[in-house]
Amino acid sequence: MAMLKVENLESGYGSMQVLWQPSLEVEKGSITSLLGPNGVGKSTLLLTVLGVVAPSGGKITYEDLDVTRMPSHDKVDLGLTLVPEGKHLFPSMTVHENLLMGAYRKEARRHREESLELVHALFPILKEREKQVAGSLSGGQQQMVTIARALMTKPKMIMMDEPSQGLAPKLVGEVFETIEKLKEEVGLTILLVEQNAAASLDAADYVYIMHEGRIKAEGKPEEIKGSSEIREAYLGV
Amino acid sequence: MFAEQLAGNLIQGLVLGSIYGMATMGLSMIFGVLQVVNVGHGAFIMIGAFTTMTVFTKLGLNPIFAIPFALVIGMALGFLFYYVVMQRLIKAPELASLLATFSIGIILEETVKLTFGSEFRGFNWETGKLDLGVTVLPYSKLIAAGGSALVALLLYLWYHKTRSGTAVRSVIEDSEGARVCGINVNWAYALSFALGIGLTVTSGVFLTMFIPVGINPYMGGGYTVKAFVIAVLGGLASPYGAFFGGLIFGLMENGSYTILATIKGVEPFALTRFFSFVTLLVILLIRPTGLFKSQ
Ligand SMILES: Nc1ncnc2c1ncn2[C@@H]1O[C@H](COP(=O)(O)OP(=O)(O)OP(=O)(O)O)[C@@H](O)[C@H]1O
Ligand SMILES: [Mg+2]
Repeated sequence: MAMLKVENLESGYGSMQVLWQPSLEVEKGSITSLLGPNGVGKSTLLLTVLGVVAPSGGKITYEDLDVTRMPSHDKVDLGLTLVPEGKHLFPSMTVHENLLMGAYRKEARRHREESLELVHALFPILKEREKQVAGSLSGGQQQMVTIARALMTKPKMIMMDEPSQGLAPKLVGEVFETIEKLKEEVGLTILLVEQNAAASLDAADYVYIMHEGRIKAEGKPEEIKGSSEIREAYLGV
Repeated sequence: MFAEQLAGNLIQGLVLGSIYGMATMGLSMIFGVLQVVNVGHGAFIMIGAFTTMTVFTKLGLNPIFAIPFALVIGMALGFLFYYVVMQRLIKAPELASLLATFSIGIILEETVKLTFGSEFRGFNWETGKLDLGVTVLPYSKLIAAGGSALVALLLYLWYHKTRSGTAVRSVIEDSEGARVCGINVNWAYALSFALGIGLTVTSGVFLTMFIPVGINPYMGGGYTVKAFVIAVLGGLASPYGAFFGGLIFGLMENGSYTILATIKGVEPFALTRFFSFVTLLVILLIRPTGLFKSQ
């Protein structure tokens, strides 16, 4: 069953259109990967799905519900959230306060303690650093807080925008391990945007390739890996 | 003799400074959350002054009763102007919101002029006086200063201890981060704008308790300019920084007045304004973000 369905989506900034009717589906319980070069509209697609950027055309369906024009806070209530590109933490709040912000909505607040336990089990360092101001953490630790804060919203589906960006190779591996854990152990559905095509192809159940605001190819990771045409044209690997 | 006079004036300065601080918090709050400079700030102070005068002279009530009226009128105006005007301008270039708040200020001034006329008004609220030896303070001024300090404290508690205050704080820190946590950012903007205007109109009540004369539709201009100086002193985006900025400004104004008055042939009042703005420029040059830490 498709948890999220995007059909012929159109959006952009002011008079500049960025998305030219891409369509994609994310199966429940899967890791679906969205790949493509810089500036093709991957982040814009995720922001439009959440409702941060307003769509000008097309349709977004989440759990069989038409959510095309639903504001982002209502989508968070339905269990959909985003780990935004470039972290977007609350830098002068402590790690703990950042996590509590994730549980701001009523439904999430009710599950706050169990969400905290899950997050501390996944990232023990965040428990140790809970009193530290988020802005003073290392880049890798800040990325953990961003993912943890998203988990505090009690999501069913998380969209992740380049969670391994700017991390040392060892930490990149850890981030991908966490993502697979979230799918296997927590049962989350994940839509993953990544620059790191190789690691992304290994983790994904299904892959979409985006170029200039359109979906140019899709398939199982083996199919994408097997097609030298796709790899050379869009991924450079 | 001079020392006593200085001490007396500094106490007066502290009392006035508390009110100045209160009269700047709304400006800082709106700037901190929406990144909008409310050029019409003083007109909202003027609305507070007229509210106080009406409550006192028409309803015959103690000016303290003007506080709830001012807060409600201010917040209603804030929500109205947010949803009708500001909401659309947040993403527009800064000049658009500057011109919009400038126009709102003029619309308010002209509306009040049409309703009340443009002559100077005042009233006399007898409360008795506290004699401190070096200076005498009417209780009306003490109530205004104490009320201002209390409002600053309440605002601090609201920001740090309540759900809606915390949500607004998260929007100040990172609005996209707030969105992915499920915070209704547009509501946070509307609430902050309304509270900012509500605080500003209420500060007009306290200012009128301090100076119950000179009430007229165009009285706000001078306060707008002072509020800008104080906001910069306090760190622009921080409402409680603004409160301390107000205290410093009140002390500076009264302190320099006393000192300048000892110089022969000098008109001290005009010079205090001159020194205020020299101070502003110096602070802008050495610490463009203000004396206190901002976001
Ligand atoms: N807030 C914005 N305002 C105006 N234009 C924007 C904004 N954000 C992105 N763009 C433009 O929209 C286009 C698509 O950007 P987007 O961030 O969606 O690409 P991306 O695929 O995520 O790129 P990257 O891999 O570099 O993150 C680019 O041309 C970009 O310059
Ligand atoms: Mg991007």
